[in-house]
Amino acid sequence: MKPFLSSRVSVVLPAAALLLYPLILSGPFYLDIGVTFLLAAISASAWNIVGGYAGQVSVGHSMFFGIGAYMPLLVYTLWGWPPIAGIPIAIVLAIGLAVIVGMPTFRLTGHYFSMATIAVAELIRIFVGTWDLVGAAIGLQGPARARGWWDLTFRSEIPYYYIFLAVLGIVLLTTAMIERRRFGFYLRAIKASERAARSLGVPVRQTKLQALALSAAFTAVAGSLYVIKTGFIDPDSAFGILISVQMLIIAALGGAGTLFGPLVGALILIPLQTATNSLFGGGGSGLTYILYGGIIVFIARFEPGGLFELWQRVAPRLRKRLHAA
Amino acid sequence: MLLEASKVSKAFGEFLAVRGADLNVGEGEIIGLIGPNGAGKSTFFNCLAGETMPTTGKIVFAGQDVTQALPEVRARAGIGRTFQVPTTFEDMSVLHNVMVGAFLRHPHRNDAREHARRIVELTGLAPDRAARSLGTPGRKRLEIARVLATEPRLLLLDESLAGLTPTELQDAIALVRRIHGMGITIVIVEHIMEVIMTLTKRVLVFNQGHVIASGTPESVVREEAVIEAYLGRGHRRRRDRGQQNA
Repeated sequence: MKPFLSSRVSVVLPAAALLLYPLILSGPFYLDIGVTFLLAAISASAWNIVGGYAGQVSVGHSMFFGIGAYMPLLVYTLWGWPPIAGIPIAIVLAIGLAVIVGMPTFRLTGHYFSMATIAVAELIRIFVGTWDLVGAAIGLQGPARARGWWDLTFRSEIPYYYIFLAVLGIVLLTTAMIERRRFGFYLRAIKASERAARSLGVPVRQTKLQALALSAAFTAVAGSLYVIKTGFIDPDSAFGILISVQMLIIAALGGAGTLFGPLVGALILIPLQTATNSLFGGGGSGLTYILYGGIIVFIARFEPGGLFELWQRVAPRLRKRLHAA
Repeated sequence: MLLEASKVSKAFGEFLAVRGADLNVGEGEIIGLIGPNGAGKSTFFNCLAGETMPTTGKIVFAGQDVTQALPEVRARAGIGRTFQVPTTFEDMSVLHNVMVGAFLRHPHRNDAREHARRIVELTGLAPDRAARSLGTPGRKRLEIARVLATEPRLLLLDESLAGLTPTELQDAIALVRRIHGMGITIVIVEHIMEVIMTLTKRVLVFNQGHVIASGTPESVVREEAVIEAYLGRGHRRRRDRGQQNA
């Protein structure tokens, strides 16, 4: 008897489900959940490169998300360019910021990197909130009506869904390639023991910096996608700490340092969040914090490797039982 | 000389852990570093590996001044090391652990995997076994395999044979001999005198940061200063009894 869930099936089946989802559940509510899920999965997968594989826990990834979110609307506001033109600029700026933050903090051991990321993200949020050029506390608005397809302003959620799905595919493909190459091996070695990695000739600082730069670039793209869909951004929804915490929690819940962990995390967290929001409305906004806190306790106490690792542990036993039956 | 360490000192604040130690290692030698706990041998060893930068002194490896070079630079130059407490990459398999070392000279995955497979075979480990499932002897062996994969010219073994059963110890000694047979120079820090007496041709004895004796293992264990500082009175009594019986 063949394993009931071979590795090929375990990739093809979810991929097919994601492709067919908008055709099966076509209502606006379900489409909105689908788009939110994909955006969360992209962000968490991007965070996963540096936080999961290299073990460098960033709690301020919103700085890259925010840059990605602001640039498309800034180029539109200042020069009337299509928002999509802001994406490459956002990527370059995010990589630059990653180098500025990573260069000094990766020289140190301990939690300095995590602390520095929180501090920089908060500083940027406060600064942007008082900077008139970027709309200060009010924020920026995108084109109300599409001037052409290049504005990527659609009435239906379906085009957004497939654009986001394509980007998620690119992020996952890149991560899968990294996993198999020297870079991926070096990241995992650094996570396990920097000291041992160094002794084997791994250029630790340089590798961490490359991981952060790549992660920042993808996170900026996630921010850009978010703003292209919503058409509006303000400092809190771009640089707020909850954005960073959400990426971290989704990756950790599913399995940080695994390819599909962030997808599993997003699959659980996003519907849960949507459910609490629709049950309690605005009055339930504090519930998000309680939910995140509960998840952190759950992961730390019961499954530090995340649900994906739990599945990998349980699946062979299930196979054996099925085989025996 | 492959390695020349001259007048190496290391101070931690007021405390001088190593005081002007010299070590010259020729290509193909096996040298032992012994001494009581806190004698400074591990600090000196870390200075050689680049984990700790010496306060004063000079370290030259294969004609290149590596005194202030980082561990990764020294690894690229050909200095490999193991750790007193084995630090394996727990979430990886044995083969993947060794591949991390192999990537240093074989950047492409397939080449690195082939090279790592050969090394794993040499060390007698199971390639697909998870590193976290190994016991202490397996972990020590894996560390040796991993560093061998970097193709070092000089291998620094930090108590890699400690904590093994007599049978495991004999296997480990045989492995070190095989490695030496591959043309790799070895410096070994060890407390087990059997290992030192069996494997090395030259020994340095550390005490309170100084090198108090050096020479062949047989000559060193007879020196009063070494007996007093490290081997102890029991060793002297055994030696005297042996001489009387003879």
